[in-house]
Amino acid sequence: MNLLDALELLKRPIPEPASDQAIFLECGFTPLHLKTFLAAHLRLCFPKDRIEIKTGLYGDLAGNLERVQPSGRSVVCVVVEWADLDPRLGIRGLGGWRSTDIPDIVDSARRQSERLTHLMKEVADSVPICVSTPTLPLPPIFTTRGGQAHHHECQLREIAASFATSLSAYRRVRLLDLQRLDELSPLGWRLDAKAEITSGFPYSLEHASRLAELLAALIQDWPPKKGLITDLDDTLWAGILGEIGVEGISWDMAGHAHMHGLYQQFLASLASAGVLLAAASKNDRALVEQALARSDILLSKDSLFPLEIHWGPKSESVRRILKEWNIAPDDVVFIDDSPMEVAEVHAVFPQMECVVFPEGDYQAIWDLLKRLRDSFGKGIVSPEDEIRLRSIRAASTLRSSLQERGPGTEDFLRNAEATITFCLGTEARDNRAFELINKTNQFNLNGKRFSESDWLCFLQDPAAFLLTASYEDKYGPLGKIAAVMGKMAGRKLYVNAWVMSCRAFSRCIEHQCLKYLFEKLDADEIVFDYEATPRNAPLQDFFAALLGGPPAPALSVRKACFNAKAPALSHRIVEVVNV
Amino acid sequence: MSEQEDQLVRCFASVFPALTPEEIRTASAESVAVWDSLAAVTLVAVVQQEFGVEIDPLDLPELSSFEALRTYLGLCRDAGPKRDVNTNQ
Repeated sequence: MNLLDALELLKRPIPEPASDQAIFLECGFTPLHLKTFLAAHLRLCFPKDRIEIKTGLYGDLAGNLERVQPSGRSVVCVVVEWADLDPRLGIRGLGGWRSTDIPDIVDSARRQSERLTHLMKEVADSVPICVSTPTLPLPPIFTTRGGQAHHHECQLREIAASFATSLSAYRRVRLLDLQRLDELSPLGWRLDAKAEITSGFPYSLEHASRLAELLAALIQDWPPKKGLITDLDDTLWAGILGEIGVEGISWDMAGHAHMHGLYQQFLASLASAGVLLAAASKNDRALVEQALARSDILLSKDSLFPLEIHWGPKSESVRRILKEWNIAPDDVVFIDDSPMEVAEVHAVFPQMECVVFPEGDYQAIWDLLKRLRDSFGKGIVSPEDEIRLRSIRAASTLRSSLQERGPGTEDFLRNAEATITFCLGTEARDNRAFELINKTNQFNLNGKRFSESDWLCFLQDPAAFLLTASYEDKYGPLGKIAAVMGKMAGRKLYVNAWVMSCRAFSRCIEHQCLKYLFEKLDADEIVFDYEATPRNAPLQDFFAALLGGPPAPALSVRKACFNAKAPALSHRIVEVVNV
Repeated sequence: MSEQEDQLVRCFASVFPALTPEEIRTASAESVAVWDSLAAVTLVAVVQQEFGVEIDPLDLPELSSFEALRTYLGLCRDAGPKRDVNTNQ
């Protein structure tokens, strides 16, 4: 994006109604064009938001961080440069570059990096914070000639690396990946010495735009995709299984198929982070079972569920997989080496990201892995991520059992030895609850999403409560699968958000949630901020059954009514109180 | 009106969105209230990027109107960067 594009983009009106969002851009230099580019890239990321970018004082990054007072929906974005660690590492000051000055510069940079780390962690306690560590080249202050690293130069880089490492360990800090920035903005083209000297803005326009683009993506923090459906022949492995047999297919260097091995290894990495994987292949099922049982395969057969192996259309396989996973097409990536198959699936599921596996093109496969990391990457791998596939298998087993048994579900659930663990409090660091509320569509009270700052703000209210429920039965654990968030007012509860994972349907967990709230918070009535959405039919069905008619906005449920209508509940309840 | 002049109008419009194209052609730091130092730096940066020219900071005080910038860019195209915007030489 060039500056003219950015300015013209910002001239476009924002469609009403717009939400307000404040970005605190904290840096030690004049923000100038970085602010313009950031505003423009944020407009692309949040087309429905009215974003105000607030900036601090020149030359006082630490002071700016001390003074920042975010409120409402806001994010703090900190751009650190070498001059913020010591002004002598910039080119506007003339504090001395003698060789005897350098050890003092190193010491001062170390102290300042520690101070900034402390300040940023304090800010992160109350608001999400995005941080970029120094991106500019170090000035030519070292006694070695260019091309030969000096010990002090290495020390400064080590300070910047430690600074980044320390911040990256903090959950609410999102750290900009300098490797990605290096790919987009060559180091030698980043500094604009003239702009720095004349206006206090150190970046070339190209670098400012690239940096702003990555910062905007950090601020946006879009939800990751949930599932990947892969073809097998000439995709998961090289070769056509039906033609060359189980021992003929390959994924190693000896078979000139090493990139397929990397693809398998990459998929195994995704699976370990909770990404759902399934296979859709026109193939012989018995042969595929044998191939997946090969001892040298890098992606275990257990990581793929379900396996759709038959000669029918791929779109049918994809439809069945989506049903089994119970997730939407736009949460899934489909990969196949055949452009025709990719086109067929895309025609049926236009919202799905459908990708042709670039068989035989090493660089393109490498680029595909990077693209997939962007689609599936997440800040934290939670315990729920690790058990997701097991719980989907368990849900599948349960569904089959319920279908076989027909009526008599209560009996069946009693025999399932179900345990629900409730955790009640205002734990804003509960990332899983935050994720559930922002990802769940079907059992969702109103479809409203929370930004991280909305979330923190809500839970800071003394009247607020957050109830989460984890579930386990003899078929396996489902992890934390429900969250209810609201406020107490006497014996009345106001519920603003209520979600439950689709994996937990048909277990009466929703009834137990209400029962627990009525009893634990000694409430007579619960008022729900209910809204019908195109996708929350399961929640509507629940209320319709409970109330004897379709739900309407501002609906409320009284304790007596609930007790009269709720089914017999036989779960074992475990409580964890966390205030 | 030349393509170059159209592009210059576009640059001005991006920095001064309230001005019409006619007002832009007569715009100057004196006549446009929002033409402050920040707007001037932004305008020069946009012009440099769009026209692929380097504007010497010493020339900035002189480039305080649409006409002055138009003339300056015309000189740049013909004979490389030129300083004297008043005499158009």
